[in-house]
Amino acid sequence: MRKTHILSLAATAMMLAGCGQGLLGNGGGAQDEAKGPIRLGMLVPQSGSEAAIGPYMTNAAQLAIDEINAKGGVLGRQLQLKAADDACDAQTAVAAANKVVTEGVEVSIGGYCSGATLPTLPVFGKANIPMIIPAANSQELVDQKLKHVFLINGTGTQQAEAASKWIAKQGATRVALMHDNTSYSKDIAVRTQPMLGDKAVITEAVTPKESDYSANIHNVLQKKPDFVYWTGYFQEGGLIIRQLRQAGFKGSIMVGDGSVSAKLGEIAGPEVDGVFATMTPIPDTLPDAKGWIDSYTKKFGSAPGPYSNQAYDAVRLAAEAITKAGSTDGAKVISALEGINGFAMFSGPLKFTPEHTLSAGGFQILVWKDGKFALQDALS
Amino acid sequence: MNETKAPEAPRKLGAKAPRTRLSKLFDNRWAGLAGLLIALLAPFVNASNYALSIMTSAAIFAMLASGLNIVVGYTGLLDLGYAAFFAVGAYTSGVLATRFDLPLLVTVPAVIVVTVIAGIIIGAPTLRLRSDYLAIVTLGFGEIIRITANNLPVTGGPSGIYGIPSLTDSPVTFYYVTVVIVAVAIIGASRLGRSRLGRAMRFVREDEDAAEATGVHTYRVKLAAYIAGAVWGGLAGVLFAGHLSAISPNSFTFLQSALVLMAVVLGGMGSVPGVVLGAIVISLLPELLRGVADYRYFVFGVLLIIVMLVRPQGLWPARSKEALK
Repeated sequence: MRKTHILSLAATAMMLAGCGQGLLGNGGGAQDEAKGPIRLGMLVPQSGSEAAIGPYMTNAAQLAIDEINAKGGVLGRQLQLKAADDACDAQTAVAAANKVVTEGVEVSIGGYCSGATLPTLPVFGKANIPMIIPAANSQELVDQKLKHVFLINGTGTQQAEAASKWIAKQGATRVALMHDNTSYSKDIAVRTQPMLGDKAVITEAVTPKESDYSANIHNVLQKKPDFVYWTGYFQEGGLIIRQLRQAGFKGSIMVGDGSVSAKLGEIAGPEVDGVFATMTPIPDTLPDAKGWIDSYTKKFGSAPGPYSNQAYDAVRLAAEAITKAGSTDGAKVISALEGINGFAMFSGPLKFTPEHTLSAGGFQILVWKDGKFALQDALS
Repeated sequence: MNETKAPEAPRKLGAKAPRTRLSKLFDNRWAGLAGLLIALLAPFVNASNYALSIMTSAAIFAMLASGLNIVVGYTGLLDLGYAAFFAVGAYTSGVLATRFDLPLLVTVPAVIVVTVIAGIIIGAPTLRLRSDYLAIVTLGFGEIIRITANNLPVTGGPSGIYGIPSLTDSPVTFYYVTVVIVAVAIIGASRLGRSRLGRAMRFVREDEDAAEATGVHTYRVKLAAYIAGAVWGGLAGVLFAGHLSAISPNSFTFLQSALVLMAVVLGGMGSVPGVVLGAIVISLLPELLRGVADYRYFVFGVLLIIVMLVRPQGLWPARSKEALK
């Protein structure tokens, strides 16, 4: 017994001495490498229900970083991507945020699920790290008026505006709104409803991850709508489209940006033809993105997907802000971001509003044609 | 310690379990103290934000597991909706702290009251049921709480509550506060297990009818276990809210209940050091496996299966001071 005591004491002492990251150490090696690479942190789902999105975003960010590094980097330093899995879950996201902060990131360029991104805001805030959020766009991210948070995706309000504009253009008179009760999806539905006035005949909430929505669809069809707008994600969206058509619904169907994925067509089958979507510019619909898609495809062996372009732009924007600020100091980068005017991005020239959102959401209407989404109306 | 050596229960180890070095270690009464020392010294080895964050989560999870252990381990009531009490605690303190600008600590009395009420509301009608039926009702209860939180305006709907103040400013102090609170809770759970009430709970687990016949008010004992579990879960919820600063219904799914139950079973039902060890394994393993990226949960699952095959009695099984069956 005594021997083990001595052994464990020795082991503890060795661990204490060997590691400089403890309370008695020098606080870790995060800040003392002004010559090393500039690290960009990226939290995206790599596991869980939204896992499919992760690679689209990290690949695009890596592409942007490689391009910038090839031109000599930023302030003479190379960029480096530190991606971590947030699993679209609050607790995992906080651990991941702390992980990348510990790894010494200077700017955060991640954030897909709003619910997982919200609790990471104070983690980055305390570490004085600016956040450029490429995808998450729930109003709660904006409402806290945090100085270090910037959104480069259109907000729920902007998407609702685009949706109601298109619904009016289509001449629909009886509109059914369907959402899945998640923060993001409900936000769009709740904001679209007052814009439609009495044309909105029903707002139906479904339970995510079910395999049969016929009860919800029955509710919706009883109100005899001529237009259905689904604001949730593609798994449920595909089923709902199929089951709506099977139930004999003849009107138009539109989906929100969370449903814009090739998977939507796989799940819905042939019924997906002619389905509209509200979406920010995707590579397929950008006239000048051809070369970009080619270099992405060449590098990763697959085409870019949803939010690839936003992730790519987030890296470029971070590089631009650090260059303008002349330093990686959080406060200086934040004021550089606030001062940016007309920076060219896929979604158009960028200028942040005082709330740190895009001055124009850039939502367009897509339509499913020949096996993929194509541009229907730019709404400009 | 005297009450643990009940006269009718002489120590009868040996028969099934030869006293190997391992089992000597398991019986060591200093094991708990050693665990606490490790927890207190850990920040001296690594005090990065990341390490502190996952260690705080692990400590909170250990508290949850020790609470569920009172219900499942001591009393033998299968609870599949334990995350509900966790949610009730987190939401009560979160709503009070953000709506009325109260410090988190001030919300604790309210949390205790609300979780006791929740425990009674759910426990009183359902504890008349036995085994499988109870499990189904608790499963339903877990979902009811989550879906209610998802639909009420006061709980912030699906996006939940954000901007909850932390107990302290620095992650290090928060970690130490958490460790102290969790240690008190674990010691409390362990003392409860050795008390008169704790023995009654184990009697109910072994044979409810015999317990009733010898004068144990089984219904009251079960309700007490349920309420104790609810309070433990609720207080863990307060720590959780303070740690994450934002809570949403997504954090209180059936998976969360299942993970806590898994920690209890993995560690060894009814054994306090066991469930703490189980909780630490369950909460730290996915983080330590971040390196294998896509295979993270696959490896996690395989490791759990291996543990259950090699040690079906749990990592650190309960050594009853009473006679083995």
